[in-house]
Amino acid sequence: MPIEVIMPKVDMDMTSGKIAVWHVAEGEAVAKGDPLFDIETAKAAMEIEAPGDGVLHFAAPEGSEIAIGQPVAWLYAAGEKPVEPPQRPGGVGTSPAADQPVGPDDRQSAAPDPVPAADPEPAHEAGALADDPAAAETGEGFRATPRARSLARESGLDLRGLSGTGPRGRIQGEDVRSALQTTRTAPAPARFAAETGPLAVTRSKGGTGTPVVLIHGFASDAMSWAPIEGALKQRPLIRIDLPGHGKSPKLRIPSFRDLVKVLREAFDALSLETAHLVGHSLGGALALALADTRPKSVSTLTLIAPAGLGAEVNGAALLGIGNATRPESLGPWLRTLVADERLVTDSYVRLAMAARSDPNLRAAQLAMADMLFPDGVQAIDLRAALERVEMPTRVIWGRQDAIIPWRHALRAPGRVGLHLFDGIGHMPQMEASDEVGKIIRSNL
Amino acid sequence: MNAHTPTALRELSYAEAIREAMDLAMAADDRVILMGEDIGVYGGAFQVTGDLVHKYGTDRVMDTPISELGGAGVAVGAALTGLRPIFEFQFSDFAALAMEQIVNQAAKVRYMLGGAVSVPLVMRFPSGSGTGAAAQHSQSLEAWLGHVPGLKVVQPSTPEDVKGMLLAALEDPDPVMIFEHKILYKMKGHVPEGYYTTPIGKAAIRRAGKDVSIVATSIMVHKALAAAEQLAGEGIDAEVIDLRTVRPMDHETVLASVRKTGRLVCVYEGVKTLGVGAEISAMVAESDAFDFLDAPIVRLGGAECPVPYNPELEKAVVPQTPDIVEAVKNVVKGRI
Repeated sequence: MPIEVIMPKVDMDMTSGKIAVWHVAEGEAVAKGDPLFDIETAKAAMEIEAPGDGVLHFAAPEGSEIAIGQPVAWLYAAGEKPVEPPQRPGGVGTSPAADQPVGPDDRQSAAPDPVPAADPEPAHEAGALADDPAAAETGEGFRATPRARSLARESGLDLRGLSGTGPRGRIQGEDVRSALQTTRTAPAPARFAAETGPLAVTRSKGGTGTPVVLIHGFASDAMSWAPIEGALKQRPLIRIDLPGHGKSPKLRIPSFRDLVKVLREAFDALSLETAHLVGHSLGGALALALADTRPKSVSTLTLIAPAGLGAEVNGAALLGIGNATRPESLGPWLRTLVADERLVTDSYVRLAMAARSDPNLRAAQLAMADMLFPDGVQAIDLRAALERVEMPTRVIWGRQDAIIPWRHALRAPGRVGLHLFDGIGHMPQMEASDEVGKIIRSNL
Repeated sequence: MNAHTPTALRELSYAEAIREAMDLAMAADDRVILMGEDIGVYGGAFQVTGDLVHKYGTDRVMDTPISELGGAGVAVGAALTGLRPIFEFQFSDFAALAMEQIVNQAAKVRYMLGGAVSVPLVMRFPSGSGTGAAAQHSQSLEAWLGHVPGLKVVQPSTPEDVKGMLLAALEDPDPVMIFEHKILYKMKGHVPEGYYTTPIGKAAIRRAGKDVSIVATSIMVHKALAAAEQLAGEGIDAEVIDLRTVRPMDHETVLASVRKTGRLVCVYEGVKTLGVGAEISAMVAESDAFDFLDAPIVRLGGAECPVPYNPELEKAVVPQTPDIVEAVKNVVKGRI
């Protein structure tokens, strides 16, 4: 079955992206991770990598505008015969892209060697694997009785993913009790196959002067900076993927101190004279720790909804994101990240889940969450570091942050600039990208 | 009395228990008087007053003219000026005629006069269906009066309770409305001798159980108990709560039960919509016991129509034991 290549959502505002250029010609083989095509959005241009190995077929023409989540091409295994673009599973008609699909005829004609023989296998397989489209598209919550919900709350069990025995699949108290029985007897904490190697670092094209180093948050990756990259393009941008995140190896990290050490090694390896450091959430805590130990190399520090300034953190959301194996279970938690839930569309959730499809990645992140946020509490306290750092420092926070309370910002010393946004959640760099971009740029 | 068992308990009918309570109160306190239509030599529409007129005379057992509004007004005035009237309606349906005196006077005077006076009035309302008395003589209107702050509204379901609650009502400085189901008048049950009171505002657990809470009022308590027996044979252990008082409602007994069972079925004869069960359901949904609910709340109430004259239809419009059995099974077995 061919691998679908979709238009990714790289920006919260983005509804479609334009294929700027293909790096691979129709019928050419690519390997996973190879640059595949560039997209242009209203705010950024970005290189997209091949999601797997295969031969490129049915690529959407350059210059075409494709709705996010819609296919732009397929990668066929060697020997697989591309007949026609596979049917997409589930109601395409209800997806936001319905009015902007690439016509099948266009794709058909773009295929270099259409074989008229019929081997409809791929299409059928795709259909068979389809999730229940109704369930996927309605965006409804799940059914559970108040008792089931309170039992789950007390025990820290995530009800999503549990199947209920009540009418219409309602999860009842008994379902939770039996799930807890199973959980208790199941082998405890997620184990992951630890890897080794340096952290993945990606750089933007262009820009001059002191570079900006970007450190993303927990369960995120370097792609999350896309919304503000346009505003910062005058400087070279360097994104670091945290261990167990994005393209970085899944390192075993026993403590926050070790995490800082790994990050410092990556930072030192950049051999920068100085850098502007920007960190979000967990990345904020790390940026602060880095600035504290490399004061001469950090010319300014921008902390977006940083961890490390107080005990409270939404542990359920962190675990929920870490545990989710399906878009249905990931979506509700992703929506807690933002104030305006409409930003997290179903297609965005599907893409986010696709990025988290590797069980080893999820296990590595869960292990990290367990170490950093045991029992849903921030076990790291960097208030002293924030008192010590002397470079110009700003803290940016959304007042509707449901992950880390924005009031932690008030613990910053007077010297630190505070930027608090009404109606914004835990992702100001996405939800208020223009404003956040301007704030950081004014620092450069 | 049962002569074979030395510990046998004295039994009275519900009507006899009311009469005994009135007799005790009148003997002990000259201020207690009875008022109502045909309660004198006729003995009352349901023979509750009986021969009390011969014992206490027509000054204390007063037949009132066929004007519920007038009679109720005199009763309110009597209470305000120091007497302890017990006013009987022939049918609770006729409360409609006396609403001004009940709702705007009896319930409000203490408040309007800044607490300087109170209205120690007891009103008795023969109510409910099952007697073939048709649409204007068969209603269960306790929710009407339960909606009025300043009134207390009770629905005793047993002879023991109706005696104790009537005596408690007489001790109460404020108006107490007693809704007596007409079908219960002939029901026999143990009634303790002598003077005692049964607290107003306190529900009674008639049968302890762990699977579902059935909160019932008046005659429905007995239907719920019959249903619970049947359900026990099918392995369902129902708790039956007799609400006893509509206002002020005993929240804690109901909530404690729901916290235990996680399931609630309300059974009442009044029309389902906006009835007593609606209040119980909402009260539970608003409380901390919400977290313990493991199934939707179910109300079984009277049908949304006048009570029919036809005896079969009359049965059909109010919850019956098989309806309760079915509803409880649906709730417990997760069918709804």
